[in-house]
Amino acid sequence: MLEDLLILIRHDLGGILRVRNVKGKRSERRSAFRRLFRYVAAASFAVIILWVIIFMVQLLGWSFFQTAIIAGIDFGATIFNFTVIISFMGSIAVSVATVANSSKMEYMMCMPISLRTLFLEKTIVVVFYNSLIYLVIGIPIVIGLAISSPVPFAILSIPIFIVMLLGNVTLGVAVGGLIGLSISRFLAGRRRLKQIGWFLGTSLAIIFSTFYYYSLYATDSGFSQFFSVILDFARQIGLSSDFSPGGAMNAVTVRLIVGLPVNLVDVFLAVLFVLVSILLIYINAIASETAHYSGWLASGSKRSSKREVKIAHTVWNPSDVPLLKMTTTTSVSMWYNTASVRREGRVLANYLVGPMRTVLWFLLIFLAPGGMMVSFAPFIIISAMIPFAVSYGVYFAGYELVYEGKNLMNLLLAPASLTDYVKGKVFSAVPFTMIATGIASVLVIFVQPSLWIYIPAVLISSIFLTLAAGGIASYSAATGGDFKAQRNISRQRGAAVQMPIRNMWAMARAHLLPNMIGFIGIGAILGIGIFLNPLYSYLVVPLFALICIQLMRSYVGKSGRRLQTIEASEYL
Amino acid sequence: MIEAIELTKQFSEFTAVDKLSFTVNPGEIYGLLGPNGSGKSTTMRMLLGLLKPTMGTARINGFDVQTHIVEAKRSMGYVPEEPVLPERLTGWEYINYVSDIWRVPRGSERDEEIDELLTLLDIKDASDDLIETYSKGMARKISLVAALIHSPKILILDELQAGIDPRGAATIKEILVGLSEKGNTILMSTHILEIAERMCDRIGIINKGSMIAEGTMNELRVKAKGHESLEEIFLDLTGGPDMQRIADFLGE
Repeated sequence: MLEDLLILIRHDLGGILRVRNVKGKRSERRSAFRRLFRYVAAASFAVIILWVIIFMVQLLGWSFFQTAIIAGIDFGATIFNFTVIISFMGSIAVSVATVANSSKMEYMMCMPISLRTLFLEKTIVVVFYNSLIYLVIGIPIVIGLAISSPVPFAILSIPIFIVMLLGNVTLGVAVGGLIGLSISRFLAGRRRLKQIGWFLGTSLAIIFSTFYYYSLYATDSGFSQFFSVILDFARQIGLSSDFSPGGAMNAVTVRLIVGLPVNLVDVFLAVLFVLVSILLIYINAIASETAHYSGWLASGSKRSSKREVKIAHTVWNPSDVPLLKMTTTTSVSMWYNTASVRREGRVLANYLVGPMRTVLWFLLIFLAPGGMMVSFAPFIIISAMIPFAVSYGVYFAGYELVYEGKNLMNLLLAPASLTDYVKGKVFSAVPFTMIATGIASVLVIFVQPSLWIYIPAVLISSIFLTLAAGGIASYSAATGGDFKAQRNISRQRGAAVQMPIRNMWAMARAHLLPNMIGFIGIGAILGIGIFLNPLYSYLVVPLFALICIQLMRSYVGKSGRRLQTIEASEYL
Repeated sequence: MIEAIELTKQFSEFTAVDKLSFTVNPGEIYGLLGPNGSGKSTTMRMLLGLLKPTMGTARINGFDVQTHIVEAKRSMGYVPEEPVLPERLTGWEYINYVSDIWRVPRGSERDEEIDELLTLLDIKDASDDLIETYSKGMARKISLVAALIHSPKILILDELQAGIDPRGAATIKEILVGLSEKGNTILMSTHILEIAERMCDRIGIINKGSMIAEGTMNELRVKAKGHESLEEIFLDLTGGPDMQRIADFLGE
């Protein structure tokens, strides 16, 4: 089994991490810059981090760092738990997706290896991808601190860190995979229930982990009391850190670097977590194998307790609604986009609740200093609507446009304007922005009723921001999208849903530009209201709306033209 | 030897394969024919151990695929109907990958063998290209190389000839006939009835998951009285085109 596993991993990663161009004449020749950029960037980044740490330790002295680390020793547990939670959230459907797509990798399944080995290898590749970023950032930090530390055996923390990190990511991925398989098992064949199950499961995972971090920072928040029960229990059984994988990792790495005593219980717990993660990833492989043979996850499976009911959809044409004049192509596109996103509860949840992760960091930056910024909390919540408005535009117009790659040939052959089609995708995000900003508005009024005056302005601005974000993202998708994404299991890079926009600049444009427009625009609207007169805010809203509409029209037009000329080899 | 004993596969209330039994002997080319959705691919997947039969047994080279799947797979080569291959590998890398899994010893002998097969199937020139650049026919050819590289005793081929150029199809035919003469067992499904008629020693026709006729061409001719070609026999057994509907569609 081990030999098979190593062969599978070697060939799988060999194809993906290719540095040289292939010799064949049909294949695309990539420049040395494009081939080596990610490796050089990662290596440079790691070297810079290492150099900065060593330089700072020499400049400020080890005792400064030691004191600072000891003072915030629990922060390490928070960071390490973050890796577990993020891996868990990203992998909740990974096993389900792999098993469901197994019919597309028959070339591997007919090989003389057990399917258990095959699924195990696929999960290991997912662990590899999930760990990569943490390893690139974490290893130079740990090396820098360990070699600067005068504490004996501090150097041991480097291999321990690597093993524990891989263990923790494995734990997150394996638990995510198992939960995903369980949901699918219990709801096998019940499409509607499965959608709801995925939606609730993914949403809860995102919300729970977001609040976990919120509670750790805003210690006077009510949520911290819930988590404090777990923390108290950990201390009662003699743990130096909390009773969590991140806590165990923190105890055996960071404490070792700064010379704090490491209890035997900590070591035992750390080893236990590594063993549990190995056991869970293996159980995940067995469960995947069972799922494959049982057939309840096969794509197109008709296993159901009920008879198949054909659902007839009607096309919603909002042209009848006053001020909402749009072509049939746009309304069909809008309806189709909403229907196709709704079809997968997990994707819908990720799209709708996912921006909470971005907002979390936003809140942490402002709320971490404690009471100082509390008076700004309502404004911070108002500003938190911006990432939501932007993300919906990016997801619904950008990502979905790329995932429709398999349909692109039909679109190109259809006697319809692709600009109108893209416009429909952008418009489909608006109702979701309205719902999200509506909920956030209630929260703002609840926190500080006097701010109601700004709510309509921000609500309206968010809608137009979504339009601009959607337009920009659609252009990024048209220019930098991988239209073969999700089409083929062998192209999946570990993630259940791979990043559809591969071009780095296109991705940066899709996310950064709309956020910048949002923060400057809505910031200006709020600022004018606060410093001059709240009513003046409403004078800026039409200007902001106009800019957003112009941006949308310009980018959607460019996107439509680009899609019109896209070559078949890019999506077939 | 391939043995299907009362193989049954049910998906909810739909029975894809219903108590299907047949045997393919060493040195024999067996054609499994049937209309679209008749259960050919499902049967093949059960024989390969990719699907668990609801009932019945599948044996490959004497090994029950449910209890000894890895041993059964060791003696098999398979070309799927739609080969979805690792697109980020070149053709050469892919064959090496498969060879490693099948434990074909590394070295010049293996390289020569790969080279020979690639040349034979006319894809040597493209072997250094990424598989994502391959046409469907090329993907099928490289799948056949992968299926043959470990010299399997049993070959299962699902619609192999579809999309392959005439020269390639003729080469494949010669290879398969040669292999069967050497004692290999070959099970193939095809919609090109002419190929089945000329190549297969025995033919099984399935419809709606059940075997409706089985035997050599002569035996099938006897069963379907008055019909000479396999196409006529096939249409007689599975139902021909609805001429009235065609006429309605054409507006006649």
